[in-house]
Amino acid sequence: MAAAPAMDQRIAQFANLLRESGFRISLSEHMDALEAARAVGLADREAFKDALRATLAKRAIDLAAFDELFDLYFGGLGEAIRASAAEMQAALGLEDADLQDLMETLAALARELRVELSPLAQALLQNDAGTLERLLREAGARVEVQGIQRPMQEGRYSHAIAQALGLSELNREIEDLKQRLEAAGLDEALLGKIRAFVDRRLRDLTDIIKRYVRSELEKRDHAARDALRVQSLAEKSFYYLSEEEIRRMNEAVKKLAERLKNTVSVRRKRAKRGKFDIKDTLRKNLQYGGTPFRLQLDRRVRDKPQVVILCDVSDSVRNVSRFMLQFVYSLQDLYSRVRSFIFVSELGEITKLFEEHEITEAIEQALTGNIVNVFAHSDFGRAFRIFHRDYLGCVTRKTSVIILGDARNNYNHPHEWVLKEIRKRAKQLIWLNPENRLTWGFGDSEMDRYQPYCDLVEECRNLKQLYRVIDRLVM
Amino acid sequence: MFDSIDDVIERFAAQQYICDRRIATVVYLAARLRKPILVEGPAGVGKTELAKVIAAALGHELIRLQCYEGLDEGKALYEWEYAKQLLYTQILKDKISEILAGARTLAQAVDRIAREDDVFFSDRFLLPRPLLRAILTPAPTVLLIDEIDKADSEFEAFLLEVLSDFQVSVPELGTLKARYVPTVVLTSNNAREMSDALKRRCLHLYIDFPSLDRELQIVRLKVPGISEQLSRQVVEVVQRVRKLDLKKVPSISETLDWARALVLLNADSLDENLVSETLSAILKYEGDIRKAQEELKDYLRRARERDGLAAAARAEKDLLH
Repeated sequence: MAAAPAMDQRIAQFANLLRESGFRISLSEHMDALEAARAVGLADREAFKDALRATLAKRAIDLAAFDELFDLYFGGLGEAIRASAAEMQAALGLEDADLQDLMETLAALARELRVELSPLAQALLQNDAGTLERLLREAGARVEVQGIQRPMQEGRYSHAIAQALGLSELNREIEDLKQRLEAAGLDEALLGKIRAFVDRRLRDLTDIIKRYVRSELEKRDHAARDALRVQSLAEKSFYYLSEEEIRRMNEAVKKLAERLKNTVSVRRKRAKRGKFDIKDTLRKNLQYGGTPFRLQLDRRVRDKPQVVILCDVSDSVRNVSRFMLQFVYSLQDLYSRVRSFIFVSELGEITKLFEEHEITEAIEQALTGNIVNVFAHSDFGRAFRIFHRDYLGCVTRKTSVIILGDARNNYNHPHEWVLKEIRKRAKQLIWLNPENRLTWGFGDSEMDRYQPYCDLVEECRNLKQLYRVIDRLVM
Repeated sequence: MFDSIDDVIERFAAQQYICDRRIATVVYLAARLRKPILVEGPAGVGKTELAKVIAAALGHELIRLQCYEGLDEGKALYEWEYAKQLLYTQILKDKISEILAGARTLAQAVDRIAREDDVFFSDRFLLPRPLLRAILTPAPTVLLIDEIDKADSEFEAFLLEVLSDFQVSVPELGTLKARYVPTVVLTSNNAREMSDALKRRCLHLYIDFPSLDRELQIVRLKVPGISEQLSRQVVEVVQRVRKLDLKKVPSISETLDWARALVLLNADSLDENLVSETLSAILKYEGDIRKAQEELKDYLRRARERDGLAAAARAEKDLLH
């Protein structure tokens, strides 16, 4: 197989491109891809794509990006060449059969006149997309077109490729061909047709080169853009989010929930102490002749975490509250014993609301003011007092209490004694503050007063910080 | 094994499994490269079915290992049959005392017993679990490891070891190596992300819900006696419902259940009453049903108009004749 090394090389480049776009591809996967591609061959493009997909793209979230990059990488040039041939055909008003005729006549004439055409000229004039693509790629590799960084460089790279390809020689060659044809004294109509065709093809080639360079640039762009997107999303503040980012954030929260679940199940397994399990003990001790030599304890300790979560939805955290509520919702989905409350200056329970409605609607309802007046001024102290009066019973030794809020109290009485009470009863008390740590305690922020009663106080404004918090939360 | 991608499609079709080229390509590659397939996708798109069909198409035995939280090596690989060992020692008491006859010291007796202990730790008392069975079988098999995402990550690590060499060591017996490397299919519902190490060893296949045409094909194949119109309406409704934001989207098997139920009810087209009475076949949450009904009202009205027009056109035609 002569084509194999070229194919291997292209797959290697493609794998690199994927890596740059954030795919994790190991060496063994790369080898698998080569083997798989050889097994299905190149003839069936879809099968080729599926083979690479099965070996290189292994996360569900990568699939869309894989398709896009594959088309960009393997579709780009061949597609451009075919498209330009089709455009040429349309522009010259040639049917398929006409074009075939014309190309055959041209080839016959060239043979008759003993004009030795270069491979490039032949590929171009015989509309041989495969060879043309190969020649272009070789020229591209020679000038290292993959290194293109900015749109500004398009012209320079196009020029370099044209030179590497030998465009000026091609020009001369074709000029020569035209003169010879004229000298041969052909029928004027045919000559006109051939001239139009040849000129058009020459122009097509420059056009194809430009498209080639542009597609290379797009590949770069795609890789860069993707890396940037992932990076920036993790660090972006909750405050400023577009629709697309909200969708991605949703996915991330889901992932977090999964991670939470995992860690919890591992922890549950580690908890060895449990009830005495008669059935298991008998089975285990069969090997000792039925003498209960080893006790088997029920390991499935069903110590599901109990969470009480208080979420500030006042104006100052308006943009964050949606996400905090999303977090609350996921948490509630995950654990059976979660009670959620929202507050501004009053406090209301939303556990039932979140149970009964799906996420967007539930959050919408929570934020419209049916539960608590969301347009009031925040009063943490008052909200805490209401909690103390009505709901303190739901905080037990097993409960983790999470408070989400900025502690901007509008100079009201903070009533931090409630936190002290809660802390006394609860397993742990966690406060997540969307504000920058540097601003805590300034102005009407009461963070300093609340902080001493919390087990964990974290700044939590973006996903990265949330990840960190969750790691600690589950431990 | 399979000769080509088309061969896969044909042999699957013979098993009444309609698959697209993507699935067939991966199955073909898995057979060619001798790699496990990791199948991911939403619940109810036929992931488990795929393994069964591969087994049927190849004429191999299917060995299934269902994963769950707490699954360990003992339940997946092998266990010693203590009860049987115990029973044998009881029955063979006489023989044992014969062996022990003449032993003067305890150490001597222990030595003699120790000489015989291969008898008790032999194949006879080994209870092979699915993984060991897949390794020991005298004929090629298909090994289905179902819902691997439910198992703990320690088990996943253990599985990696088995999947890479297809040999296990039983301390008392030595190393057992597979005579035929089984075709392995792992399925995951994405309850958690599988480790990179596992993914690295597998070919990855993501099966999504089928397109309208393909689902229609499936319904017509699996529910014989369904009318052209009803099957199209059913599939259109299901596809439409899947686009909604639901707690649980209907799977293919639920589409089939619904279609079968409608056939039993002698329906030949959908109307609003019928839909609201039977929608519970595809949707399992009250909220979801309410939402779907809202959405479908509009669709059914338009479908009725369209059919009405068609019927009117037919009537007109009859009149002309």
